[in-house]
Amino acid sequence: MAIALTVQLPRVETFSVSDLDLARRCADGDPAAFESIYHAHAERMKSIAYHHLGNVADAEDAVQESFLKIHRAASTYTGEAAFSTWLYRILVNTCYDAMRRRRRRPQEAPIDDMITLTRAASNVDDAKRLMLARLLRELPEQRRTVFVLFEIEGFSHAEIAAIAGISEANSKWILFSTKKQLQEKWKHEH
Amino acid sequence: MNTENELDEISAVARTMHAGWSSDSLLPRIQRAIARQERPQPSWHAWQVAAAAAILIALATLGWYAQRRVQEHDFNRAILQRTALDDVERAERSHVAAIGQLETLAGPKLEQSQSPLMVSYKEKLMLLDDAIAECQAGIRMNRQNAHLRRQLLSIYSEKQRTLQDVLREEAHENR
Repeated sequence: MAIALTVQLPRVETFSVSDLDLARRCADGDPAAFESIYHAHAERMKSIAYHHLGNVADAEDAVQESFLKIHRAASTYTGEAAFSTWLYRILVNTCYDAMRRRRRRPQEAPIDDMITLTRAASNVDDAKRLMLARLLRELPEQRRTVFVLFEIEGFSHAEIAAIAGISEANSKWILFSTKKQLQEKWKHEH
Repeated sequence: MNTENELDEISAVARTMHAGWSSDSLLPRIQRAIARQERPQPSWHAWQVAAAAAILIALATLGWYAQRRVQEHDFNRAILQRTALDDVERAERSHVAAIGQLETLAGPKLEQSQSPLMVSYKEKLMLLDDAIAECQAGIRMNRQNAHLRRQLLSIYSEKQRTLQDVLREEAHENR
């Protein structure tokens, strides 16, 4: 499968309907509500899952599992956090579960899609992207999440704090120290 | 390249790494999975009902069997008790009949003789008869009172020995 690396950063969609109403309609099995959630968030969810799990098949599985959880739990959504935050939190936790499952059964780790990525890429930055993607996979899960959400997906620290269940200041600190860590390796790789 | 530049470069590269790919089948796949999730699972439900019914039937059968065993056991016990009591009473009756024969033999001697020994035997026998009557009254109230039956048996034995002593004493006097 060819993966296109795009420069555009999608922002979190703002719905015309309230989050609670959307969650209620989703829980009631309204297909239009569900599809609107999917179309608003699936692309970004796939990218986040991909950067956590490293291949398209696992990323799609994680997105599917997240949507099933969202559908199951939509009736319990209280509106305390933004619906999108709640949704991405479910996705990140689903990715962590998949990563832990994979660690328990390392022989089942799927073939990386980086080969496909290499073929899809065609300009001089591809090598750097591949190197950074490889370095990201060596990071602990929380550091990887903060880096992916902020630097790749363009979330704010406030959003990341809500998704990862940490404080905003902690999110900033984790990002800073992660970048320093990456920089060390980046220097050696160059 | 200095530190700031390297950090900026990492951020710049990261900003181009949003992964996007076409996956037309993902939404239908999710919708199918949700439909499966929502669909009631009759087979599982049926299994649950069947399992519950099987457990109920098994418990009821077990209860009925246990109750029947208890009833049978009680019945057998009652039969055995009744048989045992009948045996005991039959033995008592033959014992009493034998003692009655001894009494018939010893009675006239006890009435006729005025010796202090015979008088004391007579008093002892009267005491034993009172004790026998008391025991029998108790047994009539509870046929299964084994303690009273053992007591009655020992009194009968004592009476038998006393009557035998009376007869032996009489034979001794006649010699």
